[in-house]
Amino acid sequence: MKIIFLDPTQTEYLRNCINDDREFRLAANAFSKDILLRASDTKCIIKVRDGVITQIRLNPAPMDPWSFCITASAESWTKFLQLCPPPFYFDLYGSVVRQNFEVGGDIEALFTHFWAVTRMLDVMRQLQNEPVKENSDERT
Amino acid sequence: MKGREQMARVESVQGNYIYLEVQGIEYRVYFERNGKGIPLICQHTAGAEGRQWRHLLNDGDILSRYQVIVPDLPYHGKSLPPEKVEWWKEEYRLTKSFLIDFHVALSQVLGLKKPVYLGCSMGGSLAVDLAMECPDEFRAVIGLEAGLSISKSMAQMAPALDWRDHPRIGNRCTATRMFGHTSPFAPEAFRREISWIYYQGAPSIHKGDLAYHFVEHNLSNSQVRQIDTSRIPVYFMTGDYDWGNAPEDTMRLVEHIKGAQFTEMKGLGHFPMSEDYRVFRGYLMPILNEIAAT
Repeated sequence: MKIIFLDPTQTEYLRNCINDDREFRLAANAFSKDILLRASDTKCIIKVRDGVITQIRLNPAPMDPWSFCITASAESWTKFLQLCPPPFYFDLYGSVVRQNFEVGGDIEALFTHFWAVTRMLDVMRQLQNEPVKENSDERT
Repeated sequence: MKGREQMARVESVQGNYIYLEVQGIEYRVYFERNGKGIPLICQHTAGAEGRQWRHLLNDGDILSRYQVIVPDLPYHGKSLPPEKVEWWKEEYRLTKSFLIDFHVALSQVLGLKKPVYLGCSMGGSLAVDLAMECPDEFRAVIGLEAGLSISKSMAQMAPALDWRDHPRIGNRCTATRMFGHTSPFAPEAFRREISWIYYQGAPSIHKGDLAYHFVEHNLSNSQVRQIDTSRIPVYFMTGDYDWGNAPEDTMRLVEHIKGAQFTEMKGLGHFPMSEDYRVFRGYLMPILNEIAAT
């Protein structure tokens, strides 16, 4: 199963679902940053402007700027995104403390917007575990 | 008011303020109590307060044999900072000696004879320290989510303490992180309640509490070997979903205390008494039964 934020058939659906999430909308006030998510060698940049995800850019160029990053192996992301994740994989901070994930860049910005980032990841987890459809566009 | 008539639902929990002198300073301390029998003092986690114990304070099976007492430490919850200290000019830093003196003073002023002590996280660390420093003052200690020290991986994060009291990072970060300390299997309403309590704590106090829990509480194997469980029974309980202090971290403590008992709690995180009390009490009751029988 592909990691949802790296699946080109899912990115628009994912973006819309996160933006429509009531808790994310509350949590993301004053949030304008670019988040690099990396799973092993594959990555994307999630652009947030004024609390709205405006773009999920897959396979960004090496020089594309980002504010902070969240990095893990594809295996760790797969565990993290399970509906019932194992211990040490269910929370971003805990996953970093237990050295299954790494964060980098502007950590102050990450902590400032930690609620929104956490909620974004929780929505990803929910969507990752939805029944698979052929084309995500049908769901948007 | 029109509509359905409501029946009053009033809890039998009593809240009071008591004046307590600790290390030469008088504090106005809020505490709640309920039940009759063996005194059972419950200590909240760092940066939090006694509302974490509200379920236990209403558990009829416990209240029939135990008098449950839940204080808010000074600077926490309804316990204001002391009037005679210019606390706004000092960095708050909790110490082991203050915590021990606070609990000994509280027991003495309330006239409690050898209470049972039950504490979580920072309060779990204190369970170890009480067993070492004043074993004859307590009937037994129960440490939730306790260890010899914080884990190595947590120690590497110690510089992150500064993020807990930072001008550009609000309490919503701490509240979210504490949500992340709870088990994903626990009822969401109770997980969110833990966040809610952390929203209301002073950031500098959370950081200062962790000066005890993360830094001062750093015991060696030989130190804890001195604990004599024939003088004071020692129990530890840790949730398998606690990444802050995992069961293996508690085991590194337990294996050096002869006679200490350890219970791993399945599906619980760092705040077992708050996040899923129904599951937690299933693990706690046998221990309280055993203590009551001795």
